[in-house]
Amino acid sequence: MSKFEVMYGNQAIAEGAIKAGCRFYAGYPITPSTEVAEILSDRLPEVGGVFVQMEDEIASMGAIIGASLGGMKSATATSGPGFSLMQENLGYAVGSEVPCVIINVQRVGPSTGLPTKAAQGDIMQARWGTHGDHPIIALSPGSVQDCYDLTIKAFNFSEKYRTPVIFLADALVSSLEEKIELADDDVEIFDRRKPAESPEDYKAFAFTKGGVVPLATFGEGYRYHVTGLLHDEKGYPTEDSEIVSQWWDHMYSKIEDNLDDILLYEEIELDDADIALVAYGGTAMAATRAVSLAREKGIKLGLLKLQTIWPFPEERVRKLAKDLNNIIVPELNFGQIRSEVERLAAGQSNVTGINKADGNQITPDEILTTIQKLMVAGS
Amino acid sequence: MTNLVQKETVYTDTWQTLMDVITRAASFDKNRKLPLVLTSLAELPEENFDGPAISFIHGPPGRNIALAIGLRAALPDTPMLLIMNADAVTLGMNHLIHAVRRNMGMTLLILRSEVTDAIALSPVKRTNWRSFGIQDSIEKRATPLELATSLEAASVSRGSIDNMEQLSELVNDAMNTSGFSMIGVTSDKGLPLGVLSRANLPEYFDSYREWAEVLRRSIANKNEVRAEAAEEKPTKQLRDIPRHEVRIAGIGGQGVKLAGSVLNIAAGTHEGLWTTQRGEYGSATRGGPSLVEVVAGSKRISYPRTDNPDVLVLLNQNSANQFADSVKPTGQTIVDADHVKSVPKGAIAVPIVRLSIENTGKPIAAGVVSLGCIAAVSDVVSLESLKKSIAQKLPAKLVIKNIAALEAGYTATGKMLKGNYNG
Repeated sequence: MSKFEVMYGNQAIAEGAIKAGCRFYAGYPITPSTEVAEILSDRLPEVGGVFVQMEDEIASMGAIIGASLGGMKSATATSGPGFSLMQENLGYAVGSEVPCVIINVQRVGPSTGLPTKAAQGDIMQARWGTHGDHPIIALSPGSVQDCYDLTIKAFNFSEKYRTPVIFLADALVSSLEEKIELADDDVEIFDRRKPAESPEDYKAFAFTKGGVVPLATFGEGYRYHVTGLLHDEKGYPTEDSEIVSQWWDHMYSKIEDNLDDILLYEEIELDDADIALVAYGGTAMAATRAVSLAREKGIKLGLLKLQTIWPFPEERVRKLAKDLNNIIVPELNFGQIRSEVERLAAGQSNVTGINKADGNQITPDEILTTIQKLMVAGS
Repeated sequence: MTNLVQKETVYTDTWQTLMDVITRAASFDKNRKLPLVLTSLAELPEENFDGPAISFIHGPPGRNIALAIGLRAALPDTPMLLIMNADAVTLGMNHLIHAVRRNMGMTLLILRSEVTDAIALSPVKRTNWRSFGIQDSIEKRATPLELATSLEAASVSRGSIDNMEQLSELVNDAMNTSGFSMIGVTSDKGLPLGVLSRANLPEYFDSYREWAEVLRRSIANKNEVRAEAAEEKPTKQLRDIPRHEVRIAGIGGQGVKLAGSVLNIAAGTHEGLWTTQRGEYGSATRGGPSLVEVVAGSKRISYPRTDNPDVLVLLNQNSANQFADSVKPTGQTIVDADHVKSVPKGAIAVPIVRLSIENTGKPIAAGVVSLGCIAAVSDVVSLESLKKSIAQKLPAKLVIKNIAALEAGYTATGKMLKGNYNG
């Protein structure tokens, strides 16, 4: 029998983390993510986990990397200002292939910005915030149900591909209360596996194409070197360009060879659509409503609701641009995803943005008005 | 160039000595797990190191202290041995202070502490940098050993890089000490060596785990209650209810936020509908505008805003001015009879705040009275479901009064609908 519960977005993130097996949380409270920490401070000790409030977000990110190396699934939650501080250690987790989940409940930036108001301005920071080329996975929840389901997915991806996963929530979904369906015991939880090799043969950073070897837990006889320097398969630093090239192949292929698994999106009334919306996070709620209202008026509007933001669903968006003349991208920033859609549309489709970062939400009415303008211009 | 060559020589000796110290200290106690070494020095270990199976983590400069905190939480029996340079007192200074203050279990060796003490910015003197001499003369020393002592670190000691045996013993002693230990590693012959201070305070994660163990035992029963609540079946069969929007608007201190949550749980958990609830709240003391929006229906709710509510409750004149026009043509508006002077056409006026004060002594239950009004005009939520929800959301001592307030709103609205309400 299904279990249902009424909960807030931040609560659903915390409960999703517990369900996924998160047992360590280190963080520094910040609006609008604070409830994630508050609830995990209650829940983690109940399930044998550990909660620590740290001195800052740099330390929080460092501590979750440490706990993950120690064998505990771990997470931190923050908002823009804290996410900026995490970038250094985030890069370390990418390079040394340590699984962990970073929850960023976005608010209006830059700097302290509008602390209580929702935004989606950290899309590109999630992609490129830490220095150097690197693959990354970022998910964005478009409902409280997504907060729960996608948090479980975030932990699974981080373990499966040994990578940090960034969970880009926003203040629209985090403060929303919704009745959601809880996962039953059959839900897929990807737990850390033991290495198949003996300690002598174990290569913690093996350059497997399209995958990773399990990360051995320290203290179980396995020995390896962890470093932020580019390294060989045993983890020892190297400047040998051939080995470095192999490292890059491994790092990119573990994500790119698994796009079928990683790319999550929903298609709403897209089959017969004349115009498509591409939306994500809290803005996808208004976009979904806009589709219903437009259909009532006889306008064939559809929606591509992105749940995986990075890697970007390039093939799907290319096809959308090929099939339709108009794509509208509503988002609470000045065009961070629109620029991706424009790049992929490559002139084949007219891409229009609806953009704001003033603390207000984009409404279904605004989307419909934009559509009407486009229809007038096109007729 | 001379300087660089000299530096290389000194360092090579240092790496070898340190590797010897680590292996020797690790071997003192066969029953203890091998330490995990966290270091900011890329030179450690040499790749052909064939000692015991000690793993090395080469974290970002200064951040090894933060990494060690997570590792210590996950691996309580593994000694964390940190070998750091000036980064411990520059990038790592904030982490250092807090790790010592919290007495988190780890042993930190700060290399060449007589140099790092003098020059916080760099592990080696860069005499050919023009501004360096003046900076060195202006700056005070960073003094990690004194700092750790003042913060009551579990143990603070100093060892000499030229006395491998004593240094190994100090490391062994520190790894056997519960809590944060610091060892300054020096090559200055004039400084006192050995243990400089000790404090006997509980290790952070040991205390945390002990507390959590007690907590788990004491709440074992409560956890079962939590699971049962989630499994509770809806009291009614799922009905075919199209998207139904409810908005309650008033000011902080009228219990509007609580009302939204009570209604959401009543409709979601007890009526078996899909629901969402959101709000914007003013504080009770400042009394700014406060509103909640609940959307319910037999299909999942995609959008939580109530742009055209089916039921609209307005508790003050400002809310009426702002929202009176938004109600759906087929919808119902209910206004507070005392606080909304201009009653919109078709609206029912109920003395909501007055009923709250009559039943609870305060205006704070105005939101709950509003829910009674809503139950009277809408078939989305029943009085019974609201009562159950109030019992779930409110502390036991407030339940009876709030249910009375709820019923008062319901009865008054029912009378108004029949047109015979006399206040």
